[in-house]
Amino acid sequence: MTVLERQRARAKWQQQEQQSYFGGSEFGGLFLEPSQAVQGNFQGLVGGVDSVLGEVAAVLVKPDLSLESGLPEFGRFELSNMGFGSDALINGSTTGFHINSPTSMTSGCPPTVAAVAPEERGKVSVPAEKKSSVAGRESFKKRKADKVQNTKVGAEEDTKDKKSKVSAEEGESKITTEQTSTKNNSSATNNRETSADTSKENSKASEVQKPDYIHVRARRGQATDSHSLAERVRREKISERMKYLQDLVPGCNKITGKAGMLDEIINYVQSLQRQVEFLSMKLAAVNPRLDFNIEDFFSKELFPACSTGFPTTGMSSEMTNPAYLQFNPVQQLVSCCGLEMGMNTPDMAFRRTMSAPLSLPETYLDTSYITQLQPSSTWDADLQNLLNLEFHQGRSTSYASQQLTGSIEASNLKMEI
Amino acid sequence: MTPKGVTLKSNSRKMKFARRFICTLLQMRKPRPVSLSIEEVRARGQRIKIAAYWSMAHAVGSRRAWSRALLFKLRNRARYQTIMRRRSPGLKTKRVIKNDTPGELSQTKKLRQLVPGGKTMDMCNLLEETAHYITCLATQVKVMQTLADNFSK
Repeated sequence: MTVLERQRARAKWQQQEQQSYFGGSEFGGLFLEPSQAVQGNFQGLVGGVDSVLGEVAAVLVKPDLSLESGLPEFGRFELSNMGFGSDALINGSTTGFHINSPTSMTSGCPPTVAAVAPEERGKVSVPAEKKSSVAGRESFKKRKADKVQNTKVGAEEDTKDKKSKVSAEEGESKITTEQTSTKNNSSATNNRETSADTSKENSKASEVQKPDYIHVRARRGQATDSHSLAERVRREKISERMKYLQDLVPGCNKITGKAGMLDEIINYVQSLQRQVEFLSMKLAAVNPRLDFNIEDFFSKELFPACSTGFPTTGMSSEMTNPAYLQFNPVQQLVSCCGLEMGMNTPDMAFRRTMSAPLSLPETYLDTSYITQLQPSSTWDADLQNLLNLEFHQGRSTSYASQQLTGSIEASNLKMEI
Repeated sequence: MTPKGVTLKSNSRKMKFARRFICTLLQMRKPRPVSLSIEEVRARGQRIKIAAYWSMAHAVGSRRAWSRALLFKLRNRARYQTIMRRRSPGLKTKRVIKNDTPGELSQTKKLRQLVPGGKTMDMCNLLEETAHYITCLATQVKVMQTLADNFSK
């Protein structure tokens, strides 16, 4: 087969290049001894790798950065170690590798599915990529590191990891050959990380192999990794939600990491709850004076669109409404328009709440009447004391203090006006 | 991906909450002789707080797990209180549900305690509910703040 010949020629070329590049490194050593045996074990290895990479063929077209970065490296080491010559894998960084890689893989083995055009494209790009791939091996890693968004996967990917990944892949595809074992040993000894890391990388490598899509069907030889697939999906969901929470909670832009974010979230929720409590205390203090103002406020604030002749515009901001309230004497409002609205809607709302299941504590079910009383807006000494008490109680958070000072200033302004 | 349209109906939610809350406040208005003792104010503040949470949960409806849990808790508390008043006051049972998943942070546990209904949620849903809960709390605070400002002037 011309394809095989081409691949072998490529492999030999690659071999020579890498030998010259790395000199007496273990890579060359690795190269020398398996170079012949690789060809013999070509089918087996190809079969093994093909099972792994054949899945990539089933992947839908959505270039995943982690995959792009992961597989090219894998492919590169495939080249280096097994002499595949499928440089098209390295192409993944630039072009859609998912088109190239399976074809390059399949071109080497007994042809399963090989699209001619992509294959040729892969081959065309091969010579161009070869030098860059070999010479820029180190820089490629850096490039890849820039590109990898998935920190979990990218963090573990190093030059050191590649061989372990490769060996992991082979191990997972259940092809144990002398080459893999030797590679395993050499990779293990050759300034590898600890076995714990390699095992972690194995799982990561298998995850890198797999796409991120939930609708991918089961792969052959990868049934055990459905857990890791689901794990990955779950983790990404969680990280997405954490990002959304980061937008919600103010001042969380610089905080990275789950624990810190959770701390901030907890603080924010606690401060909001404390604010609710504080405001409820404030309302309790004011409540005795809750007279007809309520209805005015109710009608005005909640029904900005109602054309009752109120000179208010819309609910552009809550502060403008209260400010506007101050300008009109309350009696005028009451007499003009607030009366009907104020009377009607609380009535209807009353009926609604009364008909609702009486689940509230009994203290809530005191009936009260909508009476028209004169508004009085005076600060009692007790009120002030209460407010100060509540204000200084507990942890003083920026949120509460900001709001309170803002409101106090606004109210002072209104008083002056 | 925007989680679940939290920002879509915030205005109507605010209105619903404000409406219900104000009605509850009106219901709670005491007759004329008003005592400004600290204890009474505190008790009333507590009731107002419960009213706020209840109206917020109702404004959200049954769509969210936390609102359902909150309504359930309030209903149970009301029922519990009435029952407990009739019976002896020494019958206080506290159920502790320990949902210890391995590798869980202490913050997660704390968050579960804060968010209503968070004890029986997995992390993914917990975060989602927290986000919605935060938005609802923020609207609650805004409305109550405006109310307080208005009524104190």
